[in-house]
Formats: sequence, structure tokens, C-alpha cells
Amino acid sequence: MSGITPDISDFATKENLDYYDDLTFGKWLKNIGITIKSCLTGLAITGKVILTKKAVTIEYPEVREELPSNSRSRLFNDVDNCIACLQCAAACPVDCIYITATRRDKEAPKLKTDDGTPIKLDLKQYTIDTALCCYCGLCTVVCPTECLTHTTDYEFSQYTVGEMKYDYLEEDIRAWKHRIVK
Amino acid sequence: MLKDIASFLNSKVSGCQAEAYEAEVGDGHVHFAGEHLFACAKALKESSEYDMNVLQVVSGVDYPERIEVNYMLASFTKNTEFILKVKLPKKNSDDVPEVESVCSLWKSANFLERETYDMVGVKFNNHPDHRRILCPEDWEGYPLRRDYVVQKEWAGMEVNPAHKVNSGDQNFFKEVVEKMGGDKKKVTYSWKSDAEA
Amino acid sequence: MIEINGKDIGDLTTLNYEKMKSDLLTLNMGPQHPATHGVLRVEIKTDSEIIAEATPYIGYLHRCFEKHAEKIDYRGVIPFVDRMDYLGAMGMEWGYALTVEKMLGTEVPRRAQYIRTIVGELQRIASHLLFYGVYAIDLGAFSPFLYAFDEREKVLRLFEELSGARLLYNYIWIGGVWNDITDDQLRRITKFVDNLEEEVKTYHKLVGENKIFIERTANVAVISEEMAYQYGATGPILRASGVDWDLRKKRPYGIYEELDFDVPLGKGEKGQVGDCWDRYHVRVQEINESIKILRQCLDGIEEGSIMGKVPKVLKVPEGEIYLRTECPRGELGYHLVSDGGKTPYRLKIKSSCFTHVSMLPELAPGQMIADFVATIGSIDIVLGEVDR
Repeated sequence: MSGITPDISDFATKENLDYYDDLTFGKWLKNIGITIKSCLTGLAITGKVILTKKAVTIEYPEVREELPSNSRSRLFNDVDNCIACLQCAAACPVDCIYITATRRDKEAPKLKTDDGTPIKLDLKQYTIDTALCCYCGLCTVVCPTECLTHTTDYEFSQYTVGEMKYDYLEEDIRAWKHRIVK
Repeated sequence: MLKDIASFLNSKVSGCQAEAYEAEVGDGHVHFAGEHLFACAKALKESSEYDMNVLQVVSGVDYPERIEVNYMLASFTKNTEFILKVKLPKKNSDDVPEVESVCSLWKSANFLERETYDMVGVKFNNHPDHRRILCPEDWEGYPLRRDYVVQKEWAGMEVNPAHKVNSGDQNFFKEVVEKMGGDKKKVTYSWKSDAEA
Repeated sequence: MIEINGKDIGDLTTLNYEKMKSDLLTLNMGPQHPATHGVLRVEIKTDSEIIAEATPYIGYLHRCFEKHAEKIDYRGVIPFVDRMDYLGAMGMEWGYALTVEKMLGTEVPRRAQYIRTIVGELQRIASHLLFYGVYAIDLGAFSPFLYAFDEREKVLRLFEELSGARLLYNYIWIGGVWNDITDDQLRRITKFVDNLEEEVKTYHKLVGENKIFIERTANVAVISEEMAYQYGATGPILRASGVDWDLRKKRPYGIYEELDFDVPLGKGEKGQVGDCWDRYHVRVQEINESIKILRQCLDGIEEGSIMGKVPKVLKVPEGEIYLRTECPRGELGYHLVSDGGKTPYRLKIKSSCFTHVSMLPELAPGQMIADFVATIGSIDIVLGEVDR
């Protein structure tokens, strides 16, 4: 077995096996004594925990935990207030926001958002691919009208990857505004 | 300190023409030609004045006509560190420059030089185990070069297959432009990269 | 003389390997393995108990993050940097923010520096608690894992209130931090720290002083000082080999110059200096030192703003820089090359775990496979950092 692979007898030398040579019967008994004592100390600690500590596990799904209010879970965009400034798409590090907007005609009635900014662009497409999104929160920081926010909703798994793209202009998603966002 | 190191190297290794470059923003470095790398590194490691006993990083940077390989040396006994830079010219974009390996001086160079070979494409002579480390063994190309284009197929599988790229959403703006009568000025959209072509 | 199958195996009282030779078996301690802390493949040549050769293969978690960083502007790189060492994300963000701030020349306000230190030391405690739990369960002890995770849960809950996420924070920004910390949260940290100081002694008695644990980790995989220098080992591994090297003392950054703490070293109490037990003990003692630092920060935190003056469109001047900070796993270095634009030209990350994995081929020969599991656990690798 010499040649390319090293020979096993090079490693199983007497030095590695020296431990067994210094062992007397007295030392062996003492080792057993120390082992039993340290294991009993360990068992005392775990026994105390069993008897005194309350269970910390939360029994999901009967009990749901309350997440803090600034927790970064699913995104929500209030499209009635969106002015299509494209800041969120530019700030996103993974490019998961798709926006298309056209300029409004000059004769159309003037619209304003909730905090007074005039809306000059008509939003035609606002889709976020939540399978690509990394939930970093950079898009919510740069939104000037605060229409894009993080909610605390974390249960949104789907069966196919295609269903993870949310088009915020659809009617059923607009209805979330009253259900999720506080 | 960089000027002292440059003069020390010029005195120990003849012909290396080491120059120190002090920078106002960031760190300066000492650079010289690639052929003298092993001799200079050996002189720095064995000198009692500098005692550079740790090689921390080997970092390769790709420029249009050269590749720079940076060695960050540090002395844990004297609490100093500095950057050693070697500029290797590239003849064309497929060229793989060569330089001597420092594995016999510092054992940490083994993995670090393999990574530089894998990502930037610099060949290290006399390396004990010269193969790719992060990419698969039969990958083509050097990913961190600026003009790198990923290969179309590997091991029978297609890289970036068309049905997984989200082209429907990316090309939505093209349909809107057509609907509005072909005038691009009336539409603003956020997807400005490859789909615009 | 005793003969089996025609081969003379000699006297049965001495293990005579000369007479019991057999062919070497090549095994894969494969990418999916509960003890390799991630997707690490180690190819072992063994005679089914003692290892003759071990070769690590990495790259199963390679996400080519350095190429992504060349296309994203400086603020957007921070979520990417989190995901490398996902168990110690605050350390990674802090190192990156310090690198860019040094190139820009911005000044970080005092309150932001105190908050960064508090958050960084809490992250160090959480990472070392996870090491404690996972190392014990690698060697077969099932209870300490959940004790460690119960303590860690309190830290993660606090981070969720501060930044919004439990593990990948995006909290330390270039120029300061994102959200402010309230007085109520500071009081909760004080209560947590007081409770933890008592509990760490109990946890050490449960695992570290147990004779079975000592037998499995003492005198195993001894890393000498010279070997640590040759391989570029840093962090708890270097300190367990007896070298007094901590970047927070030797090259201080932030407010570490004003804080008073000790650096625990390995002394070889149960075996030789630099064995697995020393590396475990250094990390447990570092939890106590972090508690000392936290107490000083909580007493001395100042009022003020949390974000310095950073322009809206970040453009870093031309040049290059290399900066290292002390993370829970070792030294983390960032080499940033900039050409004056909005995105980095080249961002190279030197992670400590990458060079630590290269120590395995020298430590493995002569060990049994069970000792090899203890070795991999004691160098505390996270594959996200190795592969980037």
C-alpha cells in the first residue's frame, strides 16, 4: 500500500496509543469516579430545568405570535397614492419591482394623493415579484408619499412560483388595504 | 513606512525596481514587476525588521489591459500591514498571465491562489494543487473578468433557460408603447437593462 | 502466534497495525451531513476508523456575490453582505460600513457608535451561544442546544424590534444606523445581561466540565502558534493557541479604545495549548467579556443623532482600501477598489472561515472519524462565509 496513498501504519504509531500504556488500575477507577460525578452534576442541572422552567414553545397554529410593528414581512403598495416616481425600483438591489406608467393627458381631471402631491403619471403596471424580493426594506425608505410599506403578514406561501408575483393594480389585492394594513 | 519597504526591497533584490505609492484617499501600496515576486516576498518574510509572518488575502482586479494581483501581508508580532501589488500585462482578453506561487512561504496561499485562478484567471507556477475551487472543475471562463459572458450549457443543463426568465413583466412596457402609437416619450418604465434592446 | 486467514496478527495484547494492514477506503463526508455545519464535502481516505488523508471541497454555496456587488450601488450592497455570515450579520455590515466611511471621510456621531458597539457585542454573544449549542449536539449532548437557543431567542427578538428582521438585518448603514434605540429596550438589555451572567456559569458546568466532553476534545487537533501563523488563522483559534491578538485592542475601531475588557487566551488546562477544549473555552469566556463591554456601553450611551452627513447620491473617490474588523469567527477584511462611480469597481471579501477550512488536511491524518467531527465543530465555520 505504499506509493500514492500514505500507509496507515505511519499514523497509528506508538505515540498515539501511549494513553493506554500509562493507565494503572487505580487511575482507571479514579477516571470512572470523576465521570460519574460530572455526569451527576449535569443531570442535576437538567433536572432543575425540567422541574422549574416553564415551556417556551409557542403552540402554533392555535397561538400566533404578535410581531413587532416595524417587522419587515410582505410588502403592500397603496396604488391610489402612488405617483410612479420609480424610486423604489431604482433602490431595489435585486430588481424585483416592475413599473410602467404613461403620462396623463392635459385635459384629464387633476388628481392628488392623500398628502397633496399631484399625480402626473397613470400607473399601468405595478408588479412585485415576492419570490425574488429579499425583504431588505430599501424601497420603503425612499418612497416619498409612503404608499409602499411593509406589513406584518408572514403567511403567504403559494403552490407555484408564478403565483408569488403580486400585481398591485388588481382589485382583490387592493382590498387588502382594509384587511391587513393598520 | 512604504518608502522604507521599497528601499529595503531595492537593496535586497537587485533589479526589482520597487516603488512606493502613497495615496491621499485610502491605502497606498508597493509595486514591482511580476518576475521578482518570490524573491521579494521571501526577503520580507525572513527579515527581522519587518517579519511579515501572515499572508492574509490574495486579491485579483481585472482592468482592460492588465491584471493586478494584490498581496496583503501582515506582521502579527510587530502589528503592521501593507499591500504588495504586482501588475501583470494582458495581451488580449483571453490571455492568462503567469506569476510565481508563494505557497512554500505561507501555507494560506494554497486556497487563496486557487481562488484567484478560478475567478480572475491568473496562473501560479509551482502551485501544489492548481485547480478550480469555487466553480465546478470543467467550467469555462473566469467569472470576475469585466467582459465575462456566462456559457450556455454545462453538464447537459441549460444555463438561464428562457422559461424561467420573467419576460412577460419585463416586456410589458413595449406593449404599452405600441398601444400609445409608438411614441416613447409618453411612457416611463423601470426596466431599463437588457430588455430595452 | 495467532493466525487468521493465513495472516499472522501477532500477540493480541498489543494493537499491531503492521500485521493488520488493509486497503484504504475512500468515503465522502458529503455535502449533506449533520455535522459539517453546512454544505461542505470532505473526502476521507480511511481504514474505516483512522483517517489517512482528508481533502475539503467547497463551492456548493457559491453565489458569486463579488460579481453582484459590481452592479449595485453602495447602499444596496448591505443586504448582500448580511447573507454571507448569516449567523453574525451585524459584524459583516459594520466592517463594510467602516470601509466605505473611511474612503468618504464621514464622521459617525457618538450615539451611533455606541449603538453599533451594543449591537455588535450582542451579535457576538448570540453567535458564541450558537457555537456552544451546536458543538455540544455534534458530540451527542442534546440538552444544551435548546438552552443556548432559548437565550439566543431573546437577542433575536430584540433585534426584530430594532431593525425589523430576525437574522438578516440591514440595520448598520453607511454613516450611522437605521432606527434609534429606546430606553425601554436598553432596560431590557440590562435585564438580559444580568440573567445571562449567572446562566453562563451553569452552562459551562453542564458541558465544559463534563468528563466525557473533556475526553473527546482534549488533546485533539492541536494547532501550534507557528501553524496558526502559516495558515493565517485569526480570532478565537489564534487566541486559543496562546497568541494575544485581538483587533479590538491592537487596532481599535469605533469606541473600543475607551472600553475596558480582557482578552481570554488558551492555557491548556485540560490538555495541550491549542486543542479543541481550549477553543471551546475561549469562546465561552468571550461571552463574559462581551457582557462587560455591554455594561459599560449601556452606562455611557450618549444622546444625539444616529446618522452622519452622507450625500444622497453616494460616490466614493478613486482609490483602494483594505480594512479589517473583529467578527465572532475571526478577522473579516474588505478590499474595496473604487473608480469614482456609483458602484464599487471591485469588492473582495476576506473571510476568516475560508482559510480555516484549509487547515483540515493537515489536522486530519491520525485522527479517528469521531475526532474529526470534533475538529470541524471547533473551528466554527459557516459555509456562507467560506463560499460567498
